[in-house]
Amino acid sequence: MGLFTELKDSISRATDRLFSEQEPKRIGIYGPPNAGKTTLANRIARDWTGDAVGAESHVPHETRRARRKENVEIERDGKTVTIDIVDTPGVTTKVDYEEFTDEMDEEDAIRRSREATEGVAEAMHWLREDVDGVIYVLDSAEDPITQVNTMLIGIVESRDLPVLIFANKTDLEESSVKRIEDAFPQHKTIPLSAKEGDNMDEVYDNIAEYFG
Amino acid sequence: MPHQCTNCGRTFADGSKEMLSGCPDCGGNKFQFAPTTTAAAESADGAGTDGSEAAETASGSADASSSEPDNVATRAAETVRDWVSADSADDSGPDATEQPPSAGSTAAAESDRSWPASDDADSSDSESPSDGEFEEWPETARRPEDRSGSPAAAAPESTGTESDEQSHSQTPSNRPSNGPTATMADDENSAQADARSEVVPSDDLPAHSERSEKGDAESDADAGSVAGPHSEAKTGAGVESDDADHPPEHGRVVSEPSGQRPSIEDLRAELNEQFESIKIVRPGQYELNLMELYNRDEYIISLQEDGRYVIDVPDSWHDGDEDD
Repeated sequence: MGLFTELKDSISRATDRLFSEQEPKRIGIYGPPNAGKTTLANRIARDWTGDAVGAESHVPHETRRARRKENVEIERDGKTVTIDIVDTPGVTTKVDYEEFTDEMDEEDAIRRSREATEGVAEAMHWLREDVDGVIYVLDSAEDPITQVNTMLIGIVESRDLPVLIFANKTDLEESSVKRIEDAFPQHKTIPLSAKEGDNMDEVYDNIAEYFG
Repeated sequence: MPHQCTNCGRTFADGSKEMLSGCPDCGGNKFQFAPTTTAAAESADGAGTDGSEAAETASGSADASSSEPDNVATRAAETVRDWVSADSADDSGPDATEQPPSAGSTAAAESDRSWPASDDADSSDSESPSDGEFEEWPETARRPEDRSGSPAAAAPESTGTESDEQSHSQTPSNRPSNGPTATMADDENSAQADARSEVVPSDDLPAHSERSEKGDAESDADAGSVAGPHSEAKTGAGVESDDADHPPEHGRVVSEPSGQRPSIEDLRAELNEQFESIKIVRPGQYELNLMELYNRDEYIISLQEDGRYVIDVPDSWHDGDEDD
């Protein structure tokens, strides 16, 4: 609770100064579980600040609380764009501890599941109040047309937030960027592999252009 | 006393909103869901009492104690039909190609269609000028038995005609005398009873203008106390339905009373599906209604398997601000 209060305070302070130009935009990294959001957040943070944001894992729902990295300064064409990146828990409509029981004992799996559910609630709450732009990360090896994706992108659109779609995991054989482009033709889709660091130049160009 | 502050022990009625701004006594923000048969619920299954089980208990006790399950069912049924018909009215086929059979998929599909007005995704139904009242609408997100009869009780009135009379005669007498809820929900119930007692039979009303005023007053009182989503519809129906033989020509007719009454279980399932933001299937298994989570003002920051939950109380942020 204390942590949250602190976070909230800093958010409301930031909101008060929302219109001052110096204030970095808060960019939420959203997407379904295991799309590579934290890997991307870590890649961006490491590239520009040297620090990581959070732990990555192949087990879904590793990120169960939103994490922020403030004042990430991205240099493009001699200009500097400063953003805060918020790595959010993966959003889903179902959480089942049995998904994790291969990796951990049942008690831990249940706890992870509960925390993941709280994380989704937090992510949705942040989306409503606290982000100025959205990077929507998708696993390009998976079918992008899901209820969660359609709904979240719809919410972002309804709020008129700038959004970039990142087709992550292009290093995988089954990856299909076109499938994502076709699913959301109204938005710019950028292919990348956050894990391998592929195409990060285009990623940063677009971040600077959309959120700068 | 379905909700109880875990700090000072203060209890809150079903449907009470008091705790949404923290416990009025001690300021605590941790509460537990404690159905009227708390002891039974706790002893029945201490660790495993998850949300659904709590719901079962609550509904069981509601049925037993209310002694008018049919009324509850009817009112809730009408509310549900209202929602369903509102849904189907603009249901031109959801775009989402994936329709997982999960709880919340109905509401979610509806949400898909209502993005442009996502902040009032629920207002397509209410079409009321006092939408602000419903922004929080935890009432509608509650299970039927949790709703302390407020919006549900308003629903039948919105049908105008005979159900109007029916609910007038039933509600004031039944509600306040309804043991378990009466003690805790005194505020709400007396306000409702007040509001309803001001409604005179349509035959006694001399002119449209006066009735319209009365209707408004009633609606205001009702909305003020319980933020019933149907207050506007009720006003409209009151004005229009001069003749009890004719249904109102325009305005929403929620439903005609019918012989087919869905069981309380069906209703609960349907309402759960549509309104519950987090459904605890069992410990470790959750189904989430994203649109509900997005739309809620308050937000659950901690779930506990014993039916307890911690909500975020906006006041606590302000306290923090003052420290700055």
